[in-house]
Amino acid sequence: MNLDATRRPWTFWVLAALFAAYVLALYGPMLCIYVLSFQDVRGGLVFPMKGLATHWFVDLFTQVRTGDVRGGFERSITLALVVTVLTVLGSFLAALAFRRGFKGDGVVFYLMIGSLVAPGLVLGIGIGLLFQWLGLEASWTTSALGAHLSWTLPFGVLVMFAVMARFDRAWEEAARDLGATRWQTTRLVIVPILAPGLLAVALFGFTLSYDEFSRTLQTTGGLNTLPLEIWSMTLNVTSPSLYALGTVTTVASFAIIGACLAVIAVIQKRRT
Amino acid sequence: MSQRLATAEPWLCAAPLLAVLAPFFVAPIIVVLAASFLQGDGAGGMLPQFTLDNYAAVFGAGLTWKLYLSTVKFAVLTWALTLLIGFWIAYFLVFQVRNRLLAIGLFLLCTVPFWTSNIIRMISWIPLLGKNGLVNAVLQGSGVIGQPLEFLLFSDFAVVVAYVHQLTIFMIVPIFNTMSRIDRRTVEAARDAGASRWEAMRLVIIPLSKNGIALGSIFVLAIVMGDFFVVKVMSGGGSASVVSALYEDIGVLQYPPAAASAVVLLAVVVLMVSLILRTVDVRRELAR
Amino acid sequence: MAHAAHLKGDIELAGVYKRFGDFTAVDGVNLKVPDGAYCCFLGPSGCGKTTILRMIAGHDDPTGGEILIGGDNVVGLPPVARRTAMMFQSYALFPHLSVRDNVAFALRVRGQSKQQRYRATDAMLEKVRLTELAHRLPGQLSGGQQQRVALARAAITEPRVLLLDEPLSALDEQLRIQMRTELRRMQRELGITFIHVTHTQLEAIALADMVVVMENGRIKQAGSAREVYAAPRDRYVAEFLGGQNVLSGEVDSVNGASFSFSAADACGIVVPLVGARRIASGERVDIAVRRDDIRLRRPGAAADLAGWNAVRTAIRAIEYQGSFVKVMLDAEAGSEFVATIPEREFFDDPFEVGDTVLASWMAERSRLLVR
Repeated sequence: MNLDATRRPWTFWVLAALFAAYVLALYGPMLCIYVLSFQDVRGGLVFPMKGLATHWFVDLFTQVRTGDVRGGFERSITLALVVTVLTVLGSFLAALAFRRGFKGDGVVFYLMIGSLVAPGLVLGIGIGLLFQWLGLEASWTTSALGAHLSWTLPFGVLVMFAVMARFDRAWEEAARDLGATRWQTTRLVIVPILAPGLLAVALFGFTLSYDEFSRTLQTTGGLNTLPLEIWSMTLNVTSPSLYALGTVTTVASFAIIGACLAVIAVIQKRRT
Repeated sequence: MSQRLATAEPWLCAAPLLAVLAPFFVAPIIVVLAASFLQGDGAGGMLPQFTLDNYAAVFGAGLTWKLYLSTVKFAVLTWALTLLIGFWIAYFLVFQVRNRLLAIGLFLLCTVPFWTSNIIRMISWIPLLGKNGLVNAVLQGSGVIGQPLEFLLFSDFAVVVAYVHQLTIFMIVPIFNTMSRIDRRTVEAARDAGASRWEAMRLVIIPLSKNGIALGSIFVLAIVMGDFFVVKVMSGGGSASVVSALYEDIGVLQYPPAAASAVVLLAVVVLMVSLILRTVDVRRELAR
Repeated sequence: MAHAAHLKGDIELAGVYKRFGDFTAVDGVNLKVPDGAYCCFLGPSGCGKTTILRMIAGHDDPTGGEILIGGDNVVGLPPVARRTAMMFQSYALFPHLSVRDNVAFALRVRGQSKQQRYRATDAMLEKVRLTELAHRLPGQLSGGQQQRVALARAAITEPRVLLLDEPLSALDEQLRIQMRTELRRMQRELGITFIHVTHTQLEAIALADMVVVMENGRIKQAGSAREVYAAPRDRYVAEFLGGQNVLSGEVDSVNGASFSFSAADACGIVVPLVGARRIASGERVDIAVRRDDIRLRRPGAAADLAGWNAVRTAIRAIEYQGSFVKVMLDAEAGSEFVATIPEREFFDDPFEVGDTVLASWMAERSRLLVR
């Protein structure tokens, strides 16, 4: 709060230390994993490192007993991509609706909050039972998809609220004034301006879905998504191939998310 | 555009959201509610027979109260710690970091770990906190302690550590968002009027951050109350939560009692959230 | 765009009113604006001027009444069908499009090919002298440049009426005066009707062919700049435009072509009676005197005051304004009594704060206002 450009209050240093400690604590555990995934063949699940090897990475992809990692990974990615697209569309439209206001929008808002705070497992059970009673088969393409959307859509709408708060209505009116139809206004003005926000929603949707566990547990049917595979692996597998898995999935996430953020940054930079 | 189409349009736009919420939120809740009133047939199925036995079992069992106590204890502890840490981190990023770009960069730095799987992050505690883990190795090696610290892992301490590690970000994000909307000049005006830094914090910044704190609290409390695997794994089976007990019921196909338990939990969580929502108009804050 | 026959851009508002629930923003407005005129709507915030502008533009619909542009009733038509264009107060330039694409936007939504629309756009950019900035984004432009882009963007559709919502408010003083000339020039060149909303009096009288003074949703006076400034109809217009002192008082006696009037601290003031105005002795009236018509004399100066009104008062404050000096005199609470004295004249025999003076003016320069 001391805006004196030359001196910083002692609180700054305390808080900076806190921040550094927090970041360290945040990254610490995972760094252990990344390091341990290069554990030597003879090594165990904990330190000390007996040597360096990529043995466990190979093990991960070849050994059958380590679980259906590849299958889980493919299903998770596919599901996450579908969820992402649907989330971006759905939350964009819903946020537009809320902006205009409609009868009962208060109820819908609280339903959204409800969907966010409801324990994932409970919803998962509910969906599973629902499908059972309707005689439908639960599968990662249907019931799990719906379960994921019930989690990502409300989040997406909340993010869109924040994004749209910065959207000036005058732009919409100006477009209308210049002769654009509703569709043209949406396509040429609203969507491009909101693009970074939409990308942020996409990122959220992807991350939330890719990582989703409790809602998916009861709704995925016979085939597991990656988090579920990992879960069963933690219960069964006792080798560092699990850590190798951690490293691989992290790298994959980083690549995708990093790319998206880079795009957002470029767009924003051009516009200011 | 015709009047009728114009008024119907918001509904059309909200339709996809409703199309997901109805079958995947509203309907499952109703199903669970219904199941809680049914009689189990002892073989994993349910008989279409109305009964209040399940609720009686839930309210009657001493275990229920113990579980709630345990879960609420974790929830409140986690909430307090995440709030403490999250608030100061958000404050640091918004008010103390001068360069806006740097602040956003540091903020992203905090979100990066969440791009890894939840579960992997959980098991990563083992090589760190375990008996043979890094922390113990360092402490023993430097002579601070003689014996490895047992309570670091597979204990209530570990559970709270895991929760705080996972959920602080849920506090940081809304508080960061709300704080960045605070007009710096109000703080300057307070200081001009003679307020000390702490008073300016207490009288200006904290009240204006109320909304972010409320939203963050809602997320943290809801997630902890609804968690079942963090507590199971990090306590090594020592502690349980309401939902983990639920999970076990499901495991033995005891749906109706599980459903009753679920309904009670939902009611408790909804109560908690509504109390928080009472203190702040979240709708206005979000839809501004 | 093919050169369509220039449709008339005269505007007529007939009984227009606008209500928001209990609140009446525009209360029965009747007005005729001739084609090709520069018309300024002048008034404080909340007087309804922006609401009327938006109704003419088609962004809001009146609760009642008719709006005719070029003889056609446009109520209910979208902006594009009215052949009007609006320049927003915040300019509302699309932040993601370059200057060129911003200006070309209207042509793009009409389906013109890239070649076609860029040709027209480049010509327009020439007119507003923005050609070198064609590829910049709005975020990289200064306030004045942004305004020119907004103007070009609106004008490219060849509207018959251009509506400007406080276009100069966001600019600093110097730029404002510069852009004023620019706007006037554009209007002359395009030859279309401009409706310009502002709360700055000097701006309105500098630019406009016709000034419409508003208060609380009603038009108080509409006329040329000179009419509105030098011959205000009532107290509100006189005070809002500045430049006039308003005195409230009672009629003492009526003497054919003039009447005698007394106010709180002045008596025997002679005011000409013009036109068919009928007033009676004892009636409460308002009169106006221009600030620059007032001369200050020292009491006891044996100057000939025949034909002059004089008020004995004291100087409250003096403000140097460069070419003239603003002298604020004691007046009844709530009103101002100000004399503006040419600078050289003032410093020939300067007064000081607290001096007692006779504020005097030629009787025929007082005006009777409508109450």
